[in-house]
Amino acid sequence: MATQTKPQSATDRSTAFKWSMVIDLDRCTGCEACVVACQSENNVPINEESAFIEGRAFEWIRLERYWEGEWPDIKARFIPVLCQHCENAPCEPVCPVYATYHNNEGLNVQVYNRCVGTRYCGANCPYHARQFNFWEPVWPEDLRHQLNPDVTVRTRGVMEKCSMCIQRIRRATRSKTPSDIPDGAFNPACVQACPTSAMTFGNLNNPESKVSKLQNDERRYHMFEHLGTAPTTLYLKQVDTHGA
Amino acid sequence: MNNNTLIKVMVPAIGLSVALVVAVVGYFVLQSWWSSPPAVLGFGDGPTQPIAFPHTTHVTDAGIDCQFCHRKVTTDEAATIPAVAQCLFCHDFGKIDGTKSTSDTAAAELAKLFDDSGEPQPVNWIRVHRVPDHVQFVHAPHIQNGVSCTTCHGDVASMQVVEQVRNLKMRDCVDCHRDNNAPTDCATCHY
Repeated sequence: MATQTKPQSATDRSTAFKWSMVIDLDRCTGCEACVVACQSENNVPINEESAFIEGRAFEWIRLERYWEGEWPDIKARFIPVLCQHCENAPCEPVCPVYATYHNNEGLNVQVYNRCVGTRYCGANCPYHARQFNFWEPVWPEDLRHQLNPDVTVRTRGVMEKCSMCIQRIRRATRSKTPSDIPDGAFNPACVQACPTSAMTFGNLNNPESKVSKLQNDERRYHMFEHLGTAPTTLYLKQVDTHGA
Repeated sequence: MNNNTLIKVMVPAIGLSVALVVAVVGYFVLQSWWSSPPAVLGFGDGPTQPIAFPHTTHVTDAGIDCQFCHRKVTTDEAATIPAVAQCLFCHDFGKIDGTKSTSDTAAAELAKLFDDSGEPQPVNWIRVHRVPDHVQFVHAPHIQNGVSCTTCHGDVASMQVVEQVRNLKMRDCVDCHRDNNAPTDCATCHY
């Protein structure tokens, strides 16, 4: 396979950034502040109860809850699940129109205007991170005014998923060199909203960033690591060896 | 003229005229689809705005810089249309106090802004340059990288009524980005 060479220039960002997120599950209390923040930041449609029952709820980040142990020695555990921005993403090669691809900043990007709605990507995502617009999303009249103008309102027939708040990335990195952007200068909505600072966001190509240092944490694991998707999102969890 | 000649003349005549109409309509539709509407019969003209604001007078004659009114163009997504209050920097809304000069034409246009309460109301400008909702166009990096306003907006300084001069379709954007070594990652504009 021929390697593509591109002219190097000031605007070439191919090696500048690699965005990543680390989620410390020992800190997560399951409050779902991230879910709400994401919903309002990214113009995610409002879910009614029926949407959850039908399995068609829109949640770019959702909270998986599970129990450990038997009553009364029982513990509630939470995992926030979002698009893992896999380096070897199963969603990408199945798209017939190249609407989802990996960009040079380590993000798995969904191009809404290119998507034709085959839903292959959603079927191939092991994390269930993608949602499909079966209908035109509708907001209550008074909520229409809080839609984020920086984010496209998706129409019927397109797939959508976590973008790692690319609108915030664009705004923060616009016309700047990587050295101008201090670690933690901006965060996706979920990271910003997390009251226990369980989530960390940053540039993996900066060895001094928090996310880079957490990559070697002894509690680290990737979700469904055995599938070989090589997620960029890292989870931290102390394995509970005593009791439930 | 018997029936036979009538058929021999009329059938091709009707057929040709139908084909001609289809061709002309098709040309208009396709030209508008791929580029901009053909500039005939007023199709390429700019819309008539609520008040006649001549850029010629302000830019060419008075020598005002674009950024004086479109203040956010160097820092933000939108170039922004100035608030009516900004007209007061130079105009005095017809209530002449001797310090600012307002011509009769300007006074007549500005008078349209007052409602019954006597307060100036915001102008409901008709948008001329529009990209689809799935395009996140940001002015700031273009200006910062030395793209002049006229590159996309044309010679507004000589326009009585602002009109769109470039088709601003994706090919237009991508061609320019390629020529200037600007990013062509889809997620530069689509997110």
